[in-house]
Amino acid sequence: MVSKSLKINKEQIKSLFNNTSDLVVYEFETLNNIKLMICYIEGFVEKSLLDRDIIKPIILNLDDNRDIKKVLYVSNVNEFNSLQEIADKMVYGGVALFVDKVSQCYVVNLNHWDKRSIEEPQSEAVIRGPKEGFIEDLATNKVMLRRRIRNNNLVFEDYIVGKQTRTSISIAYIQDVVNEEVLAEVKKRINWNIDIDGILESGYIQQLIEDNPSSLICTIGDTQKPDVVAGKLLEGRVAVFCDGTPHVLTMPKLFIEDIQSSEDYYSRPFYATFLRLLRINCLLLSIILPGLHVALQTFHQEMIPTVLLTTMAGAREGVPFPAMIEAFFMTFMLELMKESGIRLPRAVGSAVSIVGALVLGQAAVEAGLVSAPMVIVVAATAIAEFAVPALTEAIIIYRFIFILLGGFMGLYAITCGIIVISIQILSLNSFGIPYGFPLAPVNKQGLKDSVVRFPLRSFIYRPKSLEKRNIIRQKDIRKK
Amino acid sequence: MKKVLLLSIFLIITLILTGCWNATELNNIGITLLLGLDIENGKVVLTAEVINPTSAKEKTSMERDYVVKYVQGIGNNIFEAFRDITLKFDRRIFVAHNKVIILGEEFAKKGLIKEIDLLSRDNEERETAYLFVAKGAKAYEVMGINNGLEEIPANYLLKLIENYKLNPKAMNIDIIHFLKDYYDRGIEPTLGIIEKKNKKQIMKMSNTSNEKYELSILGSAVFNKDRLVGYLDGNDTKGLNFIKGRVKHGIIVFPIPETYMDKETVNFFLSKDKIENKDLDLNTLDITKTKTKNDIEIIDGNIILKTNIVLRGMIWEIQEDIDMTKLENIKILEDACSYAVEEGVRSTFMKAQNEFRMDIFGFGDIFHRKYPKEWAKIKHNWNEIFSQTDVEIEVKTNIIRTGLTNIPANNVKGD
Repeated sequence: MVSKSLKINKEQIKSLFNNTSDLVVYEFETLNNIKLMICYIEGFVEKSLLDRDIIKPIILNLDDNRDIKKVLYVSNVNEFNSLQEIADKMVYGGVALFVDKVSQCYVVNLNHWDKRSIEEPQSEAVIRGPKEGFIEDLATNKVMLRRRIRNNNLVFEDYIVGKQTRTSISIAYIQDVVNEEVLAEVKKRINWNIDIDGILESGYIQQLIEDNPSSLICTIGDTQKPDVVAGKLLEGRVAVFCDGTPHVLTMPKLFIEDIQSSEDYYSRPFYATFLRLLRINCLLLSIILPGLHVALQTFHQEMIPTVLLTTMAGAREGVPFPAMIEAFFMTFMLELMKESGIRLPRAVGSAVSIVGALVLGQAAVEAGLVSAPMVIVVAATAIAEFAVPALTEAIIIYRFIFILLGGFMGLYAITCGIIVISIQILSLNSFGIPYGFPLAPVNKQGLKDSVVRFPLRSFIYRPKSLEKRNIIRQKDIRKK
Repeated sequence: MKKVLLLSIFLIITLILTGCWNATELNNIGITLLLGLDIENGKVVLTAEVINPTSAKEKTSMERDYVVKYVQGIGNNIFEAFRDITLKFDRRIFVAHNKVIILGEEFAKKGLIKEIDLLSRDNEERETAYLFVAKGAKAYEVMGINNGLEEIPANYLLKLIENYKLNPKAMNIDIIHFLKDYYDRGIEPTLGIIEKKNKKQIMKMSNTSNEKYELSILGSAVFNKDRLVGYLDGNDTKGLNFIKGRVKHGIIVFPIPETYMDKETVNFFLSKDKIENKDLDLNTLDITKTKTKNDIEIIDGNIILKTNIVLRGMIWEIQEDIDMTKLENIKILEDACSYAVEEGVRSTFMKAQNEFRMDIFGFGDIFHRKYPKEWAKIKHNWNEIFSQTDVEIEVKTNIIRTGLTNIPANNVKGD
């Protein structure tokens, strides 16, 4: 509790912050000898504003009524009694103001810290569409979303999670569009599931509140682009912003979202449909192709066209390993190159790509360690994988599984693997909504924006699985 | 947790233990495209054409190894011969890609159904592999001849077989169709033939290549059940293909009289020896579509075989001086073409009825379908009945296109 005595308050604040060195406690007197004290954390407040709009008017104008609010030139002055609340405000850039003989603390928010400027997110580059991406600062991110949806129905609800880090997160939704069941579920899980000491990235939240922690496929989406989040909110989804992370979570996430791209909606439907078909094929290809190649080579030589078989057999002459080991080796090397390419300093990165291209592409074949068709297969797989970036993590593990299956039991096991994995994926739920929607269960309205993207004017309804109340998206202009 | 771990270990072990039992690496199989079957001193001689995969690697033609290798095995039956090869050749013969099986003439004459059993029972051998008889030769005598541009001799042969669709004077019957005909009482099987021929004219050219022989698949072989009994020449094979409805493309060369006369005069001109003497101007029709309908009828106890062929085609060559812009002239061409086809088909019928005395066309099946009760009585001597029956042939030609010119090159000067 805030006491009337400045001295006690000073002791309390100092002990609350454990005498930390970046806590600034400054005592001063006004012209008519009223004692005051301000506390803030160094580097979190804008000092010029503090001097000009708080200290100066107080020193000049504060009278014996000790009514601070009458003299301050700032717009947000809050009164607090609990020291813990004061501390919470101070770590977000608040300046605590104690007046002698007043048992209340005034907190003025003057937060100011260095932020990264808004840039185009590297992992989600687009040709057409807004180029800006979220940054680490929560308030800026909120503004970016609000600029997309200038509507009083856009609601942010703030929570503080993480027992040690006290990270503020924010749930965003559009009041009369959001699916209330999902929203309630999200709030419930944030309140109940998160008891961790630290939230350093939105990935922590993702892992703590997702439906299927043991599944390879994540049922919470993330994006760095405000326009994507806006689009998801308009379909009735909920977004979770996390301070310190440029990745915003959207939920529920359905399978079909991974093959959609924001650009699909900005370009005309025909090419968008083509791209979606391409992405689906890439997805299948990048999972199955190496396994299929191994299975055909070791078990089903009769299924390969004769001319191709002779070429493949020729390429395999002198290769010492079985096809499965070969596929494993090449896929492993590919992942190795990807991983080291990301981690290495940029100056060395080009060296890695040259070494990789030479070693994997040419030298390995010429040295007779791998066959040329395997290099082509793995390269094709790698390219296909990048077409579906959201699923990369799952794809790579599934790919290794399929190489094992294909190498041990051929097409039979590959077929079984496809069946088992399909069943597993289709049995997933994301916040109460089936992951396979609208493909399984089939929904006619939803199919208009699935593999085929229909023209925008035919999106009369919001996705039925998500949206329960405000279902009409636009009038059917063709019926007028 | 322990249970889950145990279960997953079990699953992985079962995967590893049961898996791979029939895994074969590509380096361990010898891909065979062509098999030859012969019989010598009562033993089966099996010749296989195995691709040498290293030759598929990119090398300059100087360094190249032989593209294929031939391996031979001898045994009491085919399988023993196959296993005989394993002691002489380092790779297992892999016959799933086998395209053609060549039967030596002696082998075919001895009867081959017992040996075919392996080929249809084996899970590797495809029933779509073509069966061919090496006319007047051992199978291994015709293997290895490559007069084409294909590197692999088997592919050269296969391309020849595919050319059947351009020229229906040959047969392409695969194992499954041979077996179908063999088990059917109403038809006797026929197979394609391969002949090794000396290159005559072309060897006289100065810059000719050193290959002395070429293969030809002209003609077909006639079987009595599973025994080779004789051969049909190219024209009769074409007639056979017409009756069986197997003609897709091909050409018909036919003459027409110089003046447009009535049908009897046309018939006079079309008599066969005249064509061979090359007295007449010959015209060519390229077939685009044919449809054959065979029927059988019993009128007063007499069996009549009926064949109705409808042709559609375009005129490719006219050596006559004939005005193609007139509809009645096209009609005459159509009639002349029909007559030529009819003559060819009739000759094939004559051969089957008089020489082989066997139903190689499948009229027995039609009889069976149409008169099932009577069939039960006569099926045991259907071939004898067949050779006594009357034949009615009806051919209709539709000319749909006449090429780029209306006036023949042979147009009288100044007219």
